[in-house]
Amino acid sequence: MKPNFVQKVTNWGNFPIVEKEMKSEDSFKNIRDFVLNHNEVIARGNGRCYGDSSLGEHIFSTKRLNKFISFDRLNGIIECESGVLLSDVLEISVPQGYFLYVTPGTKFVSVGGAIASDVHGKNHHAEGCFSEYVIDFKLMIENGDIITCSREENSDKFWATIGGMGLTGIILSAKFKLKNIESAYIRQESIKAENLDEIFRLFEESESWTYTVAWIDCLQKGGNIGRSILMRGEHAFQHELPENLKKNPLRLKKKFEPTVPFYFPGFVLNALTVKIFNFLYYKKQSKKEVKSFTDFETFFYPLDFVNDWNKIYGKSGFIQYQMMIPKETGKEGMKKILETIANSGNGSFLAVLKLYGKENPQAYNSFPFEGYSLALDFKVNSKLKKLIDKLDDIVQEYNGKIYLTKDSMSRSSLTNYLKNVQSSKFVSLQHKRIINNS
Amino acid sequence: MIVLGSTSEVAQAFVEKALQEGEKFEKIYLFTSNKETTERFARHIDVKFLQQSEVIELDLMKPIDYNQLDYVNSNLIFCATGYLGEGTEEGLYDNKNTERIIDINYGKLVPLMNYFAQKFESKRSGTIIGLSSVAGERGRQSNFIYGSAKAAFTAYLSGLRNYLFDKKVHVLTIKPGFMATKMTEGLPLNPKLTATPKQAADCIFKAYKKQKNVAYVLPIWAIIMMIIRNIPEFIFKKLKL
Ligand SMILES: Cc1cc2nc3c(=O)[nH]c(=O)nc-3n(C[C@H](O)[C@H](O)[C@H](O)COP(=O)(O)OP(=O)(O)OC[C@H]3O[C@@H](n4cnc5c(N)ncnc54)[C@H](O)[C@@H]3O)c2cc1C
Repeated sequence: MKPNFVQKVTNWGNFPIVEKEMKSEDSFKNIRDFVLNHNEVIARGNGRCYGDSSLGEHIFSTKRLNKFISFDRLNGIIECESGVLLSDVLEISVPQGYFLYVTPGTKFVSVGGAIASDVHGKNHHAEGCFSEYVIDFKLMIENGDIITCSREENSDKFWATIGGMGLTGIILSAKFKLKNIESAYIRQESIKAENLDEIFRLFEESESWTYTVAWIDCLQKGGNIGRSILMRGEHAFQHELPENLKKNPLRLKKKFEPTVPFYFPGFVLNALTVKIFNFLYYKKQSKKEVKSFTDFETFFYPLDFVNDWNKIYGKSGFIQYQMMIPKETGKEGMKKILETIANSGNGSFLAVLKLYGKENPQAYNSFPFEGYSLALDFKVNSKLKKLIDKLDDIVQEYNGKIYLTKDSMSRSSLTNYLKNVQSSKFVSLQHKRIINNS
Repeated sequence: MIVLGSTSEVAQAFVEKALQEGEKFEKIYLFTSNKETTERFARHIDVKFLQQSEVIELDLMKPIDYNQLDYVNSNLIFCATGYLGEGTEEGLYDNKNTERIIDINYGKLVPLMNYFAQKFESKRSGTIIGLSSVAGERGRQSNFIYGSAKAAFTAYLSGLRNYLFDKKVHVLTIKPGFMATKMTEGLPLNPKLTATPKQAADCIFKAYKKQKNVAYVLPIWAIIMMIIRNIPEFIFKKLKL
């Protein structure tokens, strides 16, 4: 039997699904051969982008680039290969008193994917994107050479690659800074908001908190539009912790992680079930304000506790629509978006609202700028494209943009902000789709 | 720990599993034919577990200077050395291919194993873990050269176990079925029958702790192989396996 590397590949949203060549290697010589012997190559980390950004004709999976290179325990500087997951980093760094400066809402993304999407977390307004803490990385470029990129060395490639969605080459390894923590716990406050006015006010009042985020019930209508829960948090100091956590502040107990065993049949997730979910979610918290200490896993990665939760959406898959609207008109724009969704009856299970701080002008391919973003999950069905078109209209009207790492459907004018990444060698299906539509 | 075939993903996963479980090794000796990737693994376990190790380049196809290995000592040896080579269709009448398969899986490997076995025997302690294969349980038309070398290796391990039993040295034979490794990447394997290196490592570690003699990585393979072993030869020879 001769190996045939063509296989079904899909990312977190299970949409789209393609049949393409995917290969993984750990020897740099073989990676070079793979790059040189193919016309269109794209790197893929852990496939946690929702859509088609890490799909292409010839996919290079970094799953075998999974080794640590160094850890300066004194200064909190770590270097690892690009396929190492953030969860692997946390596993060794947290017990040593270090945390990621910036983490997305799942820890199962690769370091390469975090750089290529320049991911952000609940602390963008305070601490920016992942790239702020990247010291340098090694990139394999079109001719198979490996170059080191930093703010000083090959800085043009450095900035083009950050948020460059894999279109400048394959990141092989990276060195980045970690932040000091005294405990693995977060001092958290969650506050219920009745409507949009209130949640926007809460966000602006909470700007001095390091972490803020809100979950919105997006099936509410009229005066209840924007009913939500704001969560804000700080890394807890050891002395603040309740007695039972003080003894071993940097170690968490192992938890049970349920797995979704199969794709849910399509009918499970409909307007009614989404309504019930959101109802329960908001009723769970009966008090207006709750203060607590939670472990970092629960605070940052609540969804990671259910392995494979993406299968809940069934075989047709789902998309995440994450867009951003400038701060001044944020409230107005969000209101329109939420109204449009409520009227469509196409409920979103999960709606996350977040206030962002100033953009880093050097990282010109990054998604965030100062404003509000909303992330919504939608099950793929025949009516969805129409809804997305409507939402795209609103985003355009407000000079917003949409997040490429979640995109698989949006209008190209909202997405083609990638600069200096054109290459005939590194090409993703997403980029082809965007270019063909513009 | 002594690791033979250190580029093997199963061997690497086993090393990590053992360290995670708190096993202590003064040093891990990583024997390899690929220095570059093994050195990366050595750095990796140093960063992750502060574990000291040494990479020793060794090519079974070249003469081995055993005097230089005098200092290598441990209580545990993990042998993952193996070579799949070309199957029957492409490689049966290619003598180079045939010799390489036989040498790396058995012929040249056994003297090396014996060298370490002798050290264990004289210390009267230790465990030897050998990765064989379900392919060694019955010759099938698709890759019986590989299968026959693994069959020989399985018999060697079972004999060694018998011989070392009253010398207080334990021998564990592992029979992985399909595994999702570089060796098999791109082959159409049934995911239900295929173990990841991490799954394999977990199972091997358990078998090691329980002092098992023979273990399949996925339990289903014990059943499949029982059936395959029991098909009468006059039927078996007609099957396209
Ligand atoms: C539950 C969930 C929550 C999330 N929350 C957030 C969030 O809060 N904030 C946020 O910013 N994102 C968030 N994301 C998105 C996720 O962080 C990004 O999509 C991330 O890039 C995924 O990393 P990955 O390793 O899975 O890469 P993939 O999904 O495989 O690839 C993503 C992109 O990175 C490129 N890439 C990957 N590896 C390399 C490499 N080695 N070299 C060059 N290019 C490479 C790919 O080509 C592709 O364009 C979330 C995703 C999920 C599933």
